[in-house]
Amino acid sequence: MTAYLLAGILIGPRLLNFIPPNLMAASDFISNLVLGIIAFSLGANFKIEQLRTGGKPVLWISVLEAGCAWLVVTIVMVVYHLLSDLPVHPAFVLGAAAAATAPAATVMVIREYRASGPVTEMLLRVVAIDDAWCLIFAALAIAAANAMSMGVFNVRVLFGAFAEIFAALILGGVLGIVLYAAARFIRTVEEVLVVTVGSILLAVGLAMQLHLSPLLTNIAFGFIVANVVKDSDVFFVNLRKIDMVLFLGFFVLVGANLEIGLLPKVGVMGVLYIVFRVIGKFAGVRLGAYISRADAKVGRYLGWGLVPQAGVALGVALSAKTLYPTYGGIIFTTITATTVIYELIGPIAAKYGLRKAGEI
Amino acid sequence: MNDLLSAGLILLLGFIGARALRIIHLPSVTAFLLVGIVIGPQVLGVVTPQIFGASEFISNLVLGLIAFGLGESFRFDKVRQGMKQVMWISIIAALGAWLLVSAALLVYFAIARLPLYPAIVLGAAAAATAPAATVLVIREYRAGGPVTDLLLKVVAIDDAWCLIISAVVIAVGNAMRADVFEWSIVFTGLGEIFGALLIGAVLGYVASRLSRFVRTNEELLIYMLGALLFNVGLSIALEISVLLSAMAMGFVMANTARENDRCFEVLRSVDTPLYIAFFIVSGAHLDFKLLYTLGIAGILYVLFRTAGKVWGARLGAKVSGAPRSAADWLGLSLTPQAGVALGVGLMAKASFPEYGDYIFTIIAATSVIFELAGPLLTKYSLVKAGEIARN
Repeated sequence: MTAYLLAGILIGPRLLNFIPPNLMAASDFISNLVLGIIAFSLGANFKIEQLRTGGKPVLWISVLEAGCAWLVVTIVMVVYHLLSDLPVHPAFVLGAAAAATAPAATVMVIREYRASGPVTEMLLRVVAIDDAWCLIFAALAIAAANAMSMGVFNVRVLFGAFAEIFAALILGGVLGIVLYAAARFIRTVEEVLVVTVGSILLAVGLAMQLHLSPLLTNIAFGFIVANVVKDSDVFFVNLRKIDMVLFLGFFVLVGANLEIGLLPKVGVMGVLYIVFRVIGKFAGVRLGAYISRADAKVGRYLGWGLVPQAGVALGVALSAKTLYPTYGGIIFTTITATTVIYELIGPIAAKYGLRKAGEI
Repeated sequence: MNDLLSAGLILLLGFIGARALRIIHLPSVTAFLLVGIVIGPQVLGVVTPQIFGASEFISNLVLGLIAFGLGESFRFDKVRQGMKQVMWISIIAALGAWLLVSAALLVYFAIARLPLYPAIVLGAAAAATAPAATVLVIREYRAGGPVTDLLLKVVAIDDAWCLIISAVVIAVGNAMRADVFEWSIVFTGLGEIFGALLIGAVLGYVASRLSRFVRTNEELLIYMLGALLFNVGLSIALEISVLLSAMAMGFVMANTARENDRCFEVLRSVDTPLYIAFFIVSGAHLDFKLLYTLGIAGILYVLFRTAGKVWGARLGAKVSGAPRSAADWLGLSLTPQAGVALGVGLMAKASFPEYGDYIFTIIAATSVIFELAGPLLTKYSLVKAGEIARN
């Protein structure tokens, strides 16, 4: 997987320039499709029977790892901004961006090494739902930052975030029920593939059209399909036949799109962000695993799988850019620059953690 | 509407359309084309400009996949007994369509006091058969038997004859127009064919050799798609026939190693979404306004191309001693027309500034008719030949 990224950097526009503009222009399409497929498959990891018995650790760990990363980064950033005489409110937004985890790299590592075991299982569920927490934290942070700069705490922003999450979950759920109703018309394996890919594209497309999170929509979609539709395995199995090609295209294009030129701009703020985000994630996982009495291995090694950062964090950065024309630029640069680093070390960290846990 | 929504709707509506039209026994290909017409820019506009812009990529990939699969039907162990029949039928059917269309149009143009050379160029375009629709109809109905077998091979190689005929004809047309016979056009045409076969064969051999290193099915899919895209892209860059090079690649891979079966298998297990996208976008591209420009020449073209194919195939089958059902029904299933014929039209456009547009319009307009009627005729003739089980 790291090889795909490196290959992408190598043949990308900054070095060899093997990728024609048309293909680069398709990267949005491919990345949205791939994230949809990943989220859809992540949804299948939540089986209702298992959640009833073992749902507590997932919630605790995901809330705490996202929350701790957010808190730790926010505090460090506030201190840094105070020390260097900068306005404080960008610090909150940076913290919120730190809460998110990019599922693609982690899922890919798990697939590549056929990892399995309690840590892997928990990891798949945690990366699935922590984007929801990130959205809530981001809304909170933006509302708080607004309150500090303008002196009014806007509750509407917060409600907006909750509404966005619920709407995404409902949209995914409705699509799942439609597929349930349509399942009996699907006979051949080819038709299964067509319908699965088609409806994931539809889910992502509708979510984007309605300004909802495509990730959450597809997680809900996959969850309903896995739990309601009879013989739902065929949908996921058939998807797995083709997704590697798309993943490869996705990661090569991610590599090609990586702005390595940003690396020198990481700066002190970026380094602090990178280090304390990881510390926050690790501490949160420990704490969550301890409180919910999860497997000891989970507490020790799950954090490694939560290092990757990508789309969701960039989304937070983008909204910060539009909200704060003056400081948004710094926030955006810091997050994109650190994303470059996380993208490169993320897969390696995830592999290391899973190997340590003895699941590879 | 964003691109993902559009792509999702294309696949889902394709599925629903095929399902719905199955009730009245229409083949899926026809359903996809009709869905494409309905959601295309002329009616609903569901297909976004970006997806429309990707149609060249999709169609080249799909033609590569189809031709690659056709190459597999030429297996040394199975091919020998039927090869004589394939040659006779494909040559006479291609020549028959060319001769009849050329003759009919020559007469018409002579009466209408138009220049004569467009007639023989249009005849050359009539020689080609579009393989994609035919292959999909065969697959959908799991057709099997001597006619199906011959049909697959005939559509695979008749594009080569079409390219030869059209190269010669364009050179002759030039001679009629400007009184110089340019051999270079003929040689370019031949080079296009042999270059394509050579490139395809070399890539097929390399791909077959390296396939040992591919372990899992997932890797194999990546490997085969990559090899095929490379082949198609190289052919486009070298301006040689994509269909023939992909076919040569399939031929070599099918014949160099038994284990290569899985290479074809893995592509076949995932290609359906691409075919749906291809035919729906083709349907969206169909321009019905062209039908008004059909004129007497277009109608003659449609009638005599069909007659030429039917009688040509019959004659070829009789001469080579093919089964009776092949003589009766093979010709009708060779009617689909698309990319290769349009390619001839494009060549004509470049070679004959005065009447090139006229030639191209006739080919495009008749393609609308043949694209829609072709799959139906293919299915009908295979049912009549008793190679599609009725259910």
